[in-house]
Amino acid sequence: MRYTVILSFILIAVHVTAQEDLLSLIDVKESNYISYTFKGNKIVNGESVEAPSAGVLQFQIQHRFGTLNSGFYNLYGLDNAQIRLGLDYGLKDWLCIGIGRSSALKTIDVSSKLKIMRQKNGMNAFPFTIAYYTSVFQKQFTKIEKKQANYKFSDQLSYVNQLLIAHKINRKLSLQISPTIVHYNLVGYDESNDRLSIGFSSRYKISNRVSINTEYFLQAVERTNNDVLSFGFDIETGGHIFQLHLSNSPAMIAPAFIHETKGIWAKGDIYFGFNISRVFSINENR
Amino acid sequence: MKRLIISTFLIFFCLTVDAQKYIGKDGVISFFSEAPLENISAINHKVAAVYDAKTKEIVFHLYIEDFEFPIALMQEHFNENYLESDIFPKSTFVGKIIELKENIAYVEGDLNIHGQTNKIFANGKFVLEDKIVNISDVNFLLKLKDYKIKIPKIVLYKIAEVIEVKVDIKMKLQ
Repeated sequence: MRYTVILSFILIAVHVTAQEDLLSLIDVKESNYISYTFKGNKIVNGESVEAPSAGVLQFQIQHRFGTLNSGFYNLYGLDNAQIRLGLDYGLKDWLCIGIGRSSALKTIDVSSKLKIMRQKNGMNAFPFTIAYYTSVFQKQFTKIEKKQANYKFSDQLSYVNQLLIAHKINRKLSLQISPTIVHYNLVGYDESNDRLSIGFSSRYKISNRVSINTEYFLQAVERTNNDVLSFGFDIETGGHIFQLHLSNSPAMIAPAFIHETKGIWAKGDIYFGFNISRVFSINENR
Repeated sequence: MKRLIISTFLIFFCLTVDAQKYIGKDGVISFFSEAPLENISAINHKVAAVYDAKTKEIVFHLYIEDFEFPIALMQEHFNENYLESDIFPKSTFVGKIIELKENIAYVEGDLNIHGQTNKIFANGKFVLEDKIVNISDVNFLLKLKDYKIKIPKIVLYKIAEVIEVKVDIKMKLQ
């Protein structure tokens, strides 16, 4: 009996002193999604796990210049510009579609990105954000090429399938691994149609609005050309993201920069380039 | 046997102190700021609150990430650059009703946003009916400076330094 009285008093005391306790009655969020792993949809050339949200249209203008070692005659590469224009639209927060065209490669690409899992902490924690990216590329052939007897439309096509696996370590540092399969319908003699590669990318924020990105694609099975290594510098200003790049590939589409890179960093075959992306909210009642 | 009954009664008496608490979990807090280029507004539908009828204490709790903006990019900037929701994921208010007359409650308490706590006063409609507390028409103003929310000079949306906040919530007796 005595114990009960003491226990009761303790319980009453707990209730009286527990003012902050009211908060604990409602503060019960089990898990938090980790968002904003990367600033842009692209880390440098390759895709990141980010995609436009539902109802958001993103317009991308990508420029690549010539090599820095091409001399003053070419203004260190600035004379040789090529561009890719792209539009990406978020159908859902987890699904976006895009279309783009690269000038020098005469290639149209149609793509889609699907977010599969999101990084989460707390209860049911999950360490990765995972997205699937798929894209079809049509390299437009010239009229003469099309008139050849053995021409088929499908010869112009190549495909990219990527699994994008990213982990945001802290607010500054994010890492991504991207196993990639590129399929070419048309290949040269003794080249294989399917080529496997793995991308390694990172993002390090040096301030709220500026980050440094790196990206490397390792040609895993068949090394047809040099591996691409790129460094990027993201600057965000309100509705725009500016991405400045240095890379040993001038290409902006995956089949070209992963497997067709000719440049060698050590020789100074470095291409300067930039992406500008602007977002428009098309559908505000998402 | 008698002892047991008294013991049980005493313990239950202690536990039933809780019965004065009203809890709501799907309240709405929104804010609005008029700006020359683009008005800024956001709404949070997952606001939780507890009201203790005995002590007149009232607390609110929300996650910054749950604020929904009409423009996704604004939401990103709000979380990443302004409110830094990865470091300060929640906002809380711990206060007390100091006066209640004609269904208008006058509340005083500590509001914590972005890791900063400030004393605020607010008033609004407070109706207790059928074991339900209904809070509405709460409007108050916040100064961004008080909560160390820095607005950079080069920013597309010119953001007002004072933000208008509205609160709406229903709480049920537990």
